[in-house]
Amino acid sequence: MRKRNNIIISFDDEVPLLQAVKILRESKEIITDVLSPFPVHGLDEALSIKRSRIPVVGFIFGALGAILAFGFQAWVFTVSYPLIIGGKPFFSVPTFIPITFEVTVLFAGLSMVAALLIRSRLKPDISFKPVDERITDDRFVILVDAADEKTTLNRVKSLLSGIHTLEIR
Amino acid sequence: MLQSPLRTPLIEGNRKTYRRITSDILNPMMNKAGKFWYMGMTIAGLAMLFGVFMIFWTVWQGIGTWGENRTVGWAFEITTFVWWIGIGHAGTFISAILLLFRQKWRNSINRSAEAMTIFAVICAALFPLIHLGRPLLTFFIFPYPNTRGLWVNFNSPLVWDVFAISTYFTISLVFWYVGLIPDIGTLRDKIKKGLKKNIYNFLSFGWKGSAKDWHRHEITSIMLAAIATPLVLSVHSIVSMDFASSIVPGWHTTIFPPYFVAGAIFSGFAMVQTLLIITRKAMGLEDFITKSHVENMNKILIATGSIVALAYMTEMFMAWYSGVEYEHYAFMNRATGPYWWAYMIMIGCNVVSSQLLWIKKLRKSLVFTFFLSIVINIGMWFERFVIIVTSLHRDYLTSSWTMYKPTIVEFGLLIGTLGIFFTAFLLFIRIFPVISISEVKSILKTGDKNQHNTELNHEKTE
Amino acid sequence: MDEQFDFKKKYRNILLILITGGILVSLAAILISKPGASRIWANVLLNNQYFMGLSLGAAFFLAVHRVSQSGWHTVLQRLPDAMTTFLPVAFVLMLLIYFGIHNLYRWTDNNLSDKVIEGKKAWLNIPFFFIRLVVYFTGWIVLTRMMRKNSGALMTSSDLKYHNRKILFAGLFLVFYGITVSASSWDWIMSLDAHWYSTLFGWYVLIGMFVTSLAFITLLIWLLKRLGYLKYVRADHVHDMAILIFAFSIFWTYQWFAQYELIWYGHLPEETSYYITRVHHFKVIFFINLGVNFIVPFFGLITFNSKRQIGWVAIIAAIVLIGHWIDYWLMIMPAAAGDKAGIGLLEICMTLVYGCLFIFIVLRSLSTGPLVVKNDPYLEESLNYES
Repeated sequence: MRKRNNIIISFDDEVPLLQAVKILRESKEIITDVLSPFPVHGLDEALSIKRSRIPVVGFIFGALGAILAFGFQAWVFTVSYPLIIGGKPFFSVPTFIPITFEVTVLFAGLSMVAALLIRSRLKPDISFKPVDERITDDRFVILVDAADEKTTLNRVKSLLSGIHTLEIR
Repeated sequence: MLQSPLRTPLIEGNRKTYRRITSDILNPMMNKAGKFWYMGMTIAGLAMLFGVFMIFWTVWQGIGTWGENRTVGWAFEITTFVWWIGIGHAGTFISAILLLFRQKWRNSINRSAEAMTIFAVICAALFPLIHLGRPLLTFFIFPYPNTRGLWVNFNSPLVWDVFAISTYFTISLVFWYVGLIPDIGTLRDKIKKGLKKNIYNFLSFGWKGSAKDWHRHEITSIMLAAIATPLVLSVHSIVSMDFASSIVPGWHTTIFPPYFVAGAIFSGFAMVQTLLIITRKAMGLEDFITKSHVENMNKILIATGSIVALAYMTEMFMAWYSGVEYEHYAFMNRATGPYWWAYMIMIGCNVVSSQLLWIKKLRKSLVFTFFLSIVINIGMWFERFVIIVTSLHRDYLTSSWTMYKPTIVEFGLLIGTLGIFFTAFLLFIRIFPVISISEVKSILKTGDKNQHNTELNHEKTE
Repeated sequence: MDEQFDFKKKYRNILLILITGGILVSLAAILISKPGASRIWANVLLNNQYFMGLSLGAAFFLAVHRVSQSGWHTVLQRLPDAMTTFLPVAFVLMLLIYFGIHNLYRWTDNNLSDKVIEGKKAWLNIPFFFIRLVVYFTGWIVLTRMMRKNSGALMTSSDLKYHNRKILFAGLFLVFYGITVSASSWDWIMSLDAHWYSTLFGWYVLIGMFVTSLAFITLLIWLLKRLGYLKYVRADHVHDMAILIFAFSIFWTYQWFAQYELIWYGHLPEETSYYITRVHHFKVIFFINLGVNFIVPFFGLITFNSKRQIGWVAIIAAIVLIGHWIDYWLMIMPAAAGDKAGIGLLEICMTLVYGCLFIFIVLRSLSTGPLVVKNDPYLEESLNYES
């Protein structure tokens, strides 16, 4: 991960956080990231985060699971080893449905979680160090990209002078 | 979001701050365990050991150590198996279905409910493994290409069970863990150094609380909830089809799938009540798991209990209406035959007791709820026992009629699974936060737009 | 917020003309094609059940939301409330079945030497059948009237006791409905196949009723919005209606499958006769039923955005309404009319007549009060609802 120069602005509540985000975006500051202890309502719109396509991943893999499960059962019962069980036909659609459904759900669920972990680059990593240890407790942080630290710092400080921040560094 | 003034607060306590939420939930977990915890672990641990020994005995000596015979091929163990799967369903109901219905009160109970699901499914999954005559050949139940050219019988509901329960376990585990990741991050940051910090750091997957990550996390949670909902319906329906797809009188009836699901949610919520009434007191979490949470869960109990009662009435009516003498007898036998006492326990514990919850005072009483929840679970165990044993011990061929008597080994297995369950739950409350910290923080401001969480206010209210 | 629906003379006249025209064409169809008394009465029963189901499903929607203290639906309350006013008319129409009872139900024939039906005589006899009918409707009408009355009382006074009473009657309705929807479906529909039985039947009909009502409420929202009303009903509310239609269509399909699969698997002649008639003689309609009631709402409402546009959701709702009519057709027609069953001019016109009557009564009820409830403690929450 490239080391960036970031201005760190901390808040203790999400209301000033949202106000600050709006002001910074209006002034065309580049916000690298916003960190919070819980998902803040309204933040997605303020940052113009596009709706994630994880559900699409789930749908595609679910459909794949459905086809695989149904096809496999059909193949087993019609081609590989047809057996007369309880007088039912070889291609017995009603009995294939439960497993098809379960495999669909399994594929959909696991693929979405995998997509989440991959896209957010979440993996077990002992060497991880957070920006501020209180973010997961009660701190809200905006990281602003600063090519030139000093001028950006002063600009940001003046923009956010009316808002209750904890610190800007 | 604007809330009606009629609504009871989701979190009580005097102007809680986010910091306070974190410490309220983490402190009981990180501090030394009290003597009650040790007592609980001892009892549960002993039960678990007893059960483990019984499992060993079953595998070593064989299924003959159980009380089943040719007529009654299924009894105690499958009853316990269905009972545990049923209990697990409440967890998914709370995490998934209540999330989809936007019932915010679920945020403080979903973590422990999901954990309960996972432990319940583990207990249930034991039985398919140990009930096979030759456990060495357990792998037979999985469809893998083999030199015999054989596959499993996909037409059989028992094979559907394998897929359903594996999927249910996997998805529940994954749903629970994805929700846990942000909270493990909180734990990681609260602990300053040491082995514990490294472990939590490892388990937290580098969670940093980034807005984009939260967005994806929320969407994934909602999507998992959306697929977990039909999953939970399908799992218990497939379990019910173990019975309903047969032609045994009292078993072959189309109402089984939704009736079993309603019964599962009924017993599951009862177990959640049992666990949480104790946990909230023991860990001082009454501000988060409030009396109205208990009351809301009681409302779900009365609703599902009534659905179960309606199902009993429907089955009884239809047994008469069908004009099939075997169905007639199956139901007469349940109420008046040699297992009539089990039937009475079932009706008393499920129908009569749960209907008492129409009375508001009882609905709000913690003591009553606690005892009722245990009564309901006993009733639901007997429900499965009645369905399985009374239908099997006297079906079509009168010369095969016989009685079933459980052995000490089978009692041991039931007690053992209770031991496993409570041991796991007691360990869970010491290792992970019992309440979902981030989700509770996100509902703190519900209804109170002006509540501002500054250090100043925090000091004032201290 | 004080807007009231103006049931203009123009709309009344259109509906009345359609009703009259429909009756005339139906009579013509009867004279020309001679469908037989069974098929005619089966149509009466089918439409009675369908439109009564719309009223009951609407009451169920209200009752469940009130008992669970959900706030979002408050702004929509008047719509399902108005739908429940059809119940007295449904009562009268269902009583008419008396005249066709021998054409519909085999068990009314006293000269049958059929042991199975003999065994059911304690339940399936004409006097008890009608006593039950009266009990069901009386209970439904009284309870829905009490729900409406308290809703109305809340609008003029702001005494919370009316709000609490609304919840009380909602609870009572749910209990009564739970029992009677099963029993009434056994009486009116299941007994058409006198030898057949299925314990799931009552619950299957219940969910079908609920989905149809959800679809109808959605269509009403669309219609009123087109006419310029309900500007405060936003995409968020439509989203939740769409979620309900999506979810309960899936639930309906699950019940359809549970009933079908268990009967197919058990292969018992006394149960399979039901499906053999329908799959062998009415195969196309049988599978269209499944397709329209599952495939269409599932794929039509699966994406996030599709649930938020009232125009699209209304189209899906309309298809679902037709789909569940087909579902009832499959339950009733093959049993009642046998070989003579079909979907022709008679079916379409009679449904049109009933439909216009239903819409007339609903719109008239809507016009008697403000479109939005007043003084409801959850109203603010509902108006500001974000989903």
